[in-house]
Amino acid sequence: MNTPLSGKMPTIALAAVALFLVVIMPALNAGGIVSDFTLNTWGKYLCYAMLGIAVDLLWGYTGLLCLAQALFFSLGGYMFGMHLMLMIGKLGQYKSDLPDFMVFLGLKELPGFWQPFYSFPFATLMVLAVPGLLAWVFGYLAFRSRIKGVYFSILTQALTYAAWLIFLSNDIITMGGNNGFTDFRTVLGADIRSPETRRILYIASAVALTLIFIGCKWLTTSRFGLIQRAIRDSENRVLFSGYSAANFKLFVFVISGMIAAVGGALYVPQVGIINPGEMATANSLEAVVWVAVGGRGTLIGPIIGAIGVNRLKSWATTEYPDYWLIILGATFVLVVLFMPKGIVGIPGQIRAIIERRKHRQTIREEDLAAANPSPEAE
Amino acid sequence: MMRVLSGRAGAFGRICGCLAACLFALASPAGAQDESPGSVREVIAKATTTLDTDQQREMVEGLASADPDEVTIWLKKWKQGEIYLYQDAEGNDMAVTLSGDPDPEARFALASVATGEPVTGADGQVARATTDDLYLADTDSKLRRVMKDVTDRMELLSPDPKERVKAVKATGNQQDITKLPLLEQIKATEKNGKVKDALDEAIAMLKLRSEDPAVRQAAVLELGEMGSIASQGAIKTVRREAEEAGNAALVSACDRAQLDIDGHISRVNTVGTVFRGLSLGSILLVVAIGLAITFGLMGVINMAHGELIAVGAYTTYLVQNLFGAGIHMSPFGMTVSIPGMNLTGNSWGLYFLVAIPASFLTAAAVGILLERGIIRFLYKRPLESLLATWGVSMILQQLFRLIFGSNNVQVDSPAYLSGNWTVNDVIFGWNRVFVIAFAVLIIFLTWVVLNKTSLGLLIRAVMQNRAMAACMGVRTERVNMMTFGFGSGLAGLAGAFLSQIGNVGPNLGQNYIVDSFMTVVVGGVGNIIGTVISALGIGMADQSLQQILGNPVLGKILVLGAIILFLQWKPAGLFATRSRSLD
Repeated sequence: MNTPLSGKMPTIALAAVALFLVVIMPALNAGGIVSDFTLNTWGKYLCYAMLGIAVDLLWGYTGLLCLAQALFFSLGGYMFGMHLMLMIGKLGQYKSDLPDFMVFLGLKELPGFWQPFYSFPFATLMVLAVPGLLAWVFGYLAFRSRIKGVYFSILTQALTYAAWLIFLSNDIITMGGNNGFTDFRTVLGADIRSPETRRILYIASAVALTLIFIGCKWLTTSRFGLIQRAIRDSENRVLFSGYSAANFKLFVFVISGMIAAVGGALYVPQVGIINPGEMATANSLEAVVWVAVGGRGTLIGPIIGAIGVNRLKSWATTEYPDYWLIILGATFVLVVLFMPKGIVGIPGQIRAIIERRKHRQTIREEDLAAANPSPEAE
Repeated sequence: MMRVLSGRAGAFGRICGCLAACLFALASPAGAQDESPGSVREVIAKATTTLDTDQQREMVEGLASADPDEVTIWLKKWKQGEIYLYQDAEGNDMAVTLSGDPDPEARFALASVATGEPVTGADGQVARATTDDLYLADTDSKLRRVMKDVTDRMELLSPDPKERVKAVKATGNQQDITKLPLLEQIKATEKNGKVKDALDEAIAMLKLRSEDPAVRQAAVLELGEMGSIASQGAIKTVRREAEEAGNAALVSACDRAQLDIDGHISRVNTVGTVFRGLSLGSILLVVAIGLAITFGLMGVINMAHGELIAVGAYTTYLVQNLFGAGIHMSPFGMTVSIPGMNLTGNSWGLYFLVAIPASFLTAAAVGILLERGIIRFLYKRPLESLLATWGVSMILQQLFRLIFGSNNVQVDSPAYLSGNWTVNDVIFGWNRVFVIAFAVLIIFLTWVVLNKTSLGLLIRAVMQNRAMAACMGVRTERVNMMTFGFGSGLAGLAGAFLSQIGNVGPNLGQNYIVDSFMTVVVGGVGNIIGTVISALGIGMADQSLQQILGNPVLGKILVLGAIILFLQWKPAGLFATRSRSLD
């Protein structure tokens, strides 16, 4: 189940897809065949795919349904967004060194924790460090007291909800409140809205996704991945075999949080906005839908799911805006009921059906043979 | 072109007016009706045409004993410049009002103030005039003060005790020492306890403006003992003046009074917080009790629980409309129109009693549908039931939007749920009291169903050991369905109940889903008592933290943090179900 795409052929196919995403798409865009809008949309999808992999690493491989992945995604986005906000400089509406929303709030100087975000390397570090640290602290508390299954889901949902409340309110933390960060101008000195910068951001997303895919592939096929799946299937047996299941889970939780954060950090400059709406629990659940649709317990599944569901979303929200939620909800119910292994699992399901039928056929023939031992003899 | 009738203002006139007002005020309650100079209209008509301002004031004062409603209307008209003077054929002034819409030349038909009849002009037709043709019946500041005195007095003597309390409080806040005799006189005859208390407070507040420092000091101390919140500002003023005058005794009296009042305020706040905490806890309890059944007993994560609550709330809305103007909607482009019973008042208010069982049944039906259609296939895969029911919740939310619109719908509380009691400055809203009573009732009923009925016995048997129950001949599938239906019905009840205290909209359920899951988890899954205690605990903690921190968001976040830490200490909740099984 875990490696339906093993062997040489799939590896070559995957490499071809990666090559297409990383090199050919941007080249076609530079040549004017793929529009800037399409490229930008695909850049977004690739970021979603990273979020999908993060969800899958926990849910598909370790059996932890975490509803906080959208929080880690947004935290990554917020950290990078802070840097982008400071890079606006005097180009903002109020022509002030401070970001516009701070001027609006009546602040006179930059809050202390914003200062280091002038530095690009620091912001990049924080993209990984802040979500990682939060995941570590929360995971430590949760796994130490052996919270698992649905309780873990509910607790992570509460964590996301609390964070959402914090980011919504400007008087607890100065992070832009309800409106979040927007109106970015430059990234590393380049105009963030120019097609060239967007292309580079797209390439960065594609490269990041490829690297994350390779890294996760390596992780999940190693001995570590074996224990990961063993925890999913029977945590107690892992414990009794002398492994510290809590530490393994904690490690995966932190890694997964960081992967989501990288996705978020690349997502924000491409869409040009980050606000607390991005970390609503519903977004975490939506990411879980992508994984379920694509196929959990595989690495290609979340990518297919994230891109597929979001294509469907773009199409449905323009064609049937009133029915989009119903379509998504129904997709979800149907996938859970009839396609427990998602799109990736369909070939296997069909094969199983055919085999079962064949099996029945043989049994029936044997039965027939048993009932009428030798018709010719009579 | 306007002629100001009452022009000359003099100190003498003002004093006369005040004196007259006081004297009259003292004399009138005995009943001045016998010397009635005519109807209110006639008096007003006469007063507006009188040139002598003293006489004018006297006439207005004379109105103090007439029908309060009419007097208020006419004095208001006069004050707002809606009464004009018209010279009739003989050259006499006549008070008129404009009636109807203006004709093309901007002329209005005139109506006499005295009789209300249309005014006939020289030609026998209804007289018409533009506003420029007429003189405005003006008022000066002295006259207006007299008018205000008259209306104030009327409010103070209003037959409705609530109105009286309001008027007394307003008089107290104005701190007009000249009103003191009037209030004391009213106090002598007042029977209603609440009005008496308000009078005591108002009289003390008036005395703060007394010339005599000793009277002021006594009044300050009296207000302190009363714990009069309204008088804080006035006491501060007295203290400042006393400081300037070097009256140390009065300053210390003010400080002591302020201390007393502060103590009173903190007591009021504490009681208020406890009450609000109790009612918030009851809300959580009612919302979570359904979940305690479906999630706690059955182990089904029903993310659509919130939408089942909304189903109950919308059912209440529909029942309300059936009792009122009827249902008119246009879902999916179709027009649905069901005539209502057009009831009003108390008989309309009965809708809620019908809505309670209706919302239970509707939500239970939706729940059973959900169980039969989806959840029964997922009993062995709890995480996936979470996902599938989340899909259902999205579908339901969108259906609500398509059927009822994306805005909130209006659910009006019946009269018996929309008042409040004020006991010693603490406000007890009837709906909040109702919330608590309703929660107690629901818990009791749930307990009865689970422990005293055969269905409850079957539910408990199946939940404890499904295989064994099945072996004993229990139809476990059917029990699952009934249990889920029961839990969903309780969610519907919560909806009926939330419709009385908050907005009813498509997102109603989303606001409560996190809280209700938290409540069940903290209480310990599979335990109703645990849910009760955790709901009340979370409600109290939330309200107290809000009170202490003065920031609702921070309070909520701290509660969530506290819950996460609490589960460190007791991972299975308050009341864990003990079991030897692993996984």
